[in-house]
Amino acid sequence: MSRWVTILLQLFACIIMAGQAGAVGQQVIVCIQCHAAQPVARLSQPVKIWRKSIHSDHGITCNACHGGNPLDAATSMSPADGFRGVPAPTAIPALCGGCHMGVVKHYMSSAHGRALGRGGPTCVTCHGSHGVVSASLDIISQKNCTPCHSFDKARMIRSAMLKTDGMLKAIEKRIRVLRSQGIETDSLEKRLFSLRNRFHAMFHSLDVNLIKQESAHIQAELEKTNGVGGAGTGLIVGALAVGWALLAAFLFYQIKKNLD
Amino acid sequence: MNFMEKIYNWIDVRLGLREIINKKRSGYLLPHNINAWYSLGSVLLVIFFLQIVTGLLLMLYYVPDIDKAFSSVSFIMDEIPLGRLVRLFHAAGSSMMLLVLLLHMFSVLFMGSYKSPREFHWLTGFILLLLAMGISLTGYLLPWNQLSFWATTVATDCVSSIPFMGEKLVELLRGGKQVGFHTLGRFYTLHVGILPAFIAILIGVHLFLIQRTGVSTPPFGLDDTRNPWKSDKFVYEEHPGGVPFFPNFFLQDMISISLYFACLMALVFFFPNMFIPSTSYVPANPLVTPSHIKPEWYFLANYQTLKLFPSEIIGITVQGVAMTFLALLPFLDRGTEKHPLKRPLFTFSAVGGILLWIALSVWGAYS
Repeated sequence: MSRWVTILLQLFACIIMAGQAGAVGQQVIVCIQCHAAQPVARLSQPVKIWRKSIHSDHGITCNACHGGNPLDAATSMSPADGFRGVPAPTAIPALCGGCHMGVVKHYMSSAHGRALGRGGPTCVTCHGSHGVVSASLDIISQKNCTPCHSFDKARMIRSAMLKTDGMLKAIEKRIRVLRSQGIETDSLEKRLFSLRNRFHAMFHSLDVNLIKQESAHIQAELEKTNGVGGAGTGLIVGALAVGWALLAAFLFYQIKKNLD
Repeated sequence: MNFMEKIYNWIDVRLGLREIINKKRSGYLLPHNINAWYSLGSVLLVIFFLQIVTGLLLMLYYVPDIDKAFSSVSFIMDEIPLGRLVRLFHAAGSSMMLLVLLLHMFSVLFMGSYKSPREFHWLTGFILLLLAMGISLTGYLLPWNQLSFWATTVATDCVSSIPFMGEKLVELLRGGKQVGFHTLGRFYTLHVGILPAFIAILIGVHLFLIQRTGVSTPPFGLDDTRNPWKSDKFVYEEHPGGVPFFPNFFLQDMISISLYFACLMALVFFFPNMFIPSTSYVPANPLVTPSHIKPEWYFLANYQTLKLFPSEIIGITVQGVAMTFLALLPFLDRGTEKHPLKRPLFTFSAVGGILLWIALSVWGAYS
């Protein structure tokens, strides 16, 4: 009985949401509309988690991984429209690699990739699925690595990456400050984006020597960005200009005083 | 006779420069008790000129297209030598123009200089204030950033409260239902062409009126502070034994202008984000509404008044009545007394009105 009530509630939620989507006349992702309103936590929770993810920030919606037609409730889960449901673990690297191409190349050549299908980790093992956030060194931790192997090699990799990671964060912070001052940061951001991707992708090879070598190259590249966009606000020029104007006012006042 | 004097003589015999200067020295006398507040008009003239010059420089690189406006402003700020400075001068100058205009009006208000025969002076000044607000509003949209886009949406939306024709007026202003491509085109045309032309004409009329009637006498330091004007015939208000405009009051003008420049440059160099906050460095996105969007400071009181009343029609009517009252003040206030302390009811009301306007603006900013 309760199962039927649940199904009816789900259908009702879908109809209401689909109706609202149609009324608004905008491109609404029906998967989100329907699942967000589901009374069963297992079905609604992914939407809540996804909303806080980096994929949500960049508009990467359910269909990017699960397939299907996100604009039509009737065919949203139709295999004919490419709906694949929960991807098989062995298919995950290729799926993520559709966008993260550099990463998948390094991953497949690594010990992790070679163990794919034989208990080895896939992308979601470390990064999670719906709640994937911007990658940081925190992922390389005792908690994540030791369930499968010792932390020794992971610690070496982490140490090799630490300085570069710090530099990336410092530059990101500097870009935010520059942007708040109205300085154009587009080219700097693109350069940083490219270097960060190269840095994160290269880590997936799990080759300590390669990571050390590439980190040194990336650090040298990052050093070059230090001189970009550092235009001063001309405080000295400002002080001089204000000083001159005040001096002019004083001189005019003195002349007027003598004249009066 | 040196070379410079020869040049001066050559020009003088053709244009009569000496005559103008002599006339300004001995012929154009100002009240002996004239004060620094009277120089705000000259400061405003300088500001208007500076806005024209900086505006023309910005026009060299600005592209009035929704896809290019933001990047063209970024290009001016980052790539053009002194471009950032020119834009900051223009943006800060716009707010400063309104501030000085308000101070000028307050001084006229408290010294009773709007009284007969200067009703037209007040009226042209009041229209100039409205035009200055209009030119600031239209210019605010042009950088096409998130702040300007949504502030313009809020400001133009207020017009919809006008009974019967509000919606049509909003569409006329925006060139459509939403702020978009047509709004930018319209605002650009108004900002660089129509409004400056109207302002220039009205400044000319305002100056002509002052030349015709003469400068009003301030009510301070006199025994009799009543308005001397009699309504039977036209009389130029002369000030025998007064202060020559040149060089005496010209120097006062120069003091005020120099102090204005000191303030402007202090703002531009030390507080650049006051007029161009960091949020205005994000390109306009009609699909993302930022939280807490507010119009510019000079519209905050209007914005808050609209929110105060349960119906927008009441809010707009109250504002309309207040503005009409202010515009017609010289026709309504027929008393002859000019000294603010000798007309306590007026002074009390005026101070109360200004405080109310400030309170509404602050409330609007933090609401």
